[in-house]
Amino acid sequence: MLSWEFPPRTVGGIAAHLFNLSRELVKLGVDTHIVTCDFPGAPESEVVNGAHILRVDSYKTPSPDFATWDSLMNVNMQKETAALISSLSGQVDIIHAHDWLVANAALGLKHVFRIPMAATIHSTEVGRRNGLHTDYERMIHQTENWLAHESWRVVCCSQYMSGQVRWAYGLPEDRVKIIPNGVDVNVYEEFDRAEFRKRFALPEEKIVLFVGRLVYEKGVQTLISAVPKILSRVNAKFVVVGDGGMRDSLMRQVANMRLAHRIVFTGFLDEDSLRKLYQVADVCVVPSLYEPFGITALEAMAAKTPLVASNTGGLSEIVEHDNTGTKVFPGSADSVAWGVTRVLLDPGYANWIKLNAYQKALKVYDWAKIAKQTKEFYEQILREYDRGSWKPT
Amino acid sequence: MRVIIFTWEFPPRITGQLAHYVNRLAAELVKKNVDVYVVTYNNSWTGFHQGADGIKAYRISDKVQQHINVLTWMLSLNQEAERVAADIYYSMKHELDLIDVHDWHFVPAAVTLKRALKVPFVFSIDSIEPHRSRNSGAPLSSSIRSMESLGMDEARRIIVKSEWMKQELKRHYNTSDKMIEVVSPDAKSWIDEILAGYRKGLEVPAN
Repeated sequence: MLSWEFPPRTVGGIAAHLFNLSRELVKLGVDTHIVTCDFPGAPESEVVNGAHILRVDSYKTPSPDFATWDSLMNVNMQKETAALISSLSGQVDIIHAHDWLVANAALGLKHVFRIPMAATIHSTEVGRRNGLHTDYERMIHQTENWLAHESWRVVCCSQYMSGQVRWAYGLPEDRVKIIPNGVDVNVYEEFDRAEFRKRFALPEEKIVLFVGRLVYEKGVQTLISAVPKILSRVNAKFVVVGDGGMRDSLMRQVANMRLAHRIVFTGFLDEDSLRKLYQVADVCVVPSLYEPFGITALEAMAAKTPLVASNTGGLSEIVEHDNTGTKVFPGSADSVAWGVTRVLLDPGYANWIKLNAYQKALKVYDWAKIAKQTKEFYEQILREYDRGSWKPT
Repeated sequence: MRVIIFTWEFPPRITGQLAHYVNRLAAELVKKNVDVYVVTYNNSWTGFHQGADGIKAYRISDKVQQHINVLTWMLSLNQEAERVAADIYYSMKHELDLIDVHDWHFVPAAVTLKRALKVPFVFSIDSIEPHRSRNSGAPLSSSIRSMESLGMDEARRIIVKSEWMKQELKRHYNTSDKMIEVVSPDAKSWIDEILAGYRKGLEVPAN
């Protein structure tokens, strides 16, 4: 597998994805090698949960911009991976690329070794930017398009993403495989809840939690607009975890609304505190306007936190209304206020949705099951590869 | 001997003198019974073509049309160079002896092919970045220099056209004397000297 991030180098969600997926693939007997970028203090090569990690020089001389850096990093990644595959003397069956950031390396290796290549497209440039506006964005979009078409099959994490990938790159339906993201329910351990809770709220206040980057598409502004309506019926504290370009404007919005004493901006939070915060929260709100998947919703489900989520994108597939959560209209403060109040005022209902959600996390989003689907996906590709004439003789 | 030449310009695409030079080189090599494939760029005239002079040319095209600079363009084009070189390699039952890379543009592909398929390469240098962008410390220029350095580090032999260029390589890149072959295009024995350089490129280094 090729990825530009793997723990301890964690930029977005791909690092955690690979960490969990590789651990479970190894348990299924898949000999897993991950080639990724180097990181200060992390060894050049090591074995993590049975998976072999190789960290390559990520090109540290100055480069003009991020995308050019990425192209240069791919030169190193391809060079080192070519040496790795050679040293394993033809024992590599599949090259699995994660997102456009490793497209160059993966594409070249596919052809040079004639090994099937599959790509997981975690999100799309056209979705992230809500359109394509510059040459820079068009270049990334076309790189994704190239990667998608060169992939034996593309993995997407939801129906929604599959639809987007088919629309954006004109990919036929049978070239896309949906395998969801997973969540680890075992990381939510017991601790002194009352003591931890004190850091964020008074004992009589309910905690309403938001986790995500503070950017427009995550919809935190909708939640803030809903706060007065919620407070008119419930005594609550709102905890906003995450950082992003909208932080200052959101804090101004809060100050103008005279709500600074009710809304806490924590910034980035360490993993341990975040897990605890999920567990002490009375409701977790995911008010996104655009959401390819919705990993925070999964985390809330795994932590047994009742969920209020927008009916949009991948989220609408994770959450079933009145069963595993409460669905609200994206962008509607009234709808968010309604959903949050409903969960906070009806403990029986809150309990019902959170337990159902937890069961779903166990059944559908278990990494062991996702690894099994991934392994079957690999096996199907290999069967097709063996039948074809592209395989070298 | 079967050789692939990587060059970013080859007739009808002519941006400088390199196109003419490589054309003459390929034609002369064919006369010396070398099986010559030229892998080059041409976004409108693509695919495989064999001329009356016996040169087999593969023209590759942009899979990513939009670019922000010469590096993102070249580094995505390198994957296509690899694809075509690998196609030649597999269709020739792995009988491919050497790659001759002209200037930095396809160095990354040559390096990967060397690591992956054990096909060595010689690095033919027509011009270098320190001359094209004199004293430039700009990130784009230093990134191109780093591709040139990579080529010099990984090549079995470096072929230059003049004693002056040899000295320039030593000055700018600390390249070792014994790696560099000076072959003047004006010399009578030019093509024989090139072939001698290729043969040195085939030798496995002692260390």
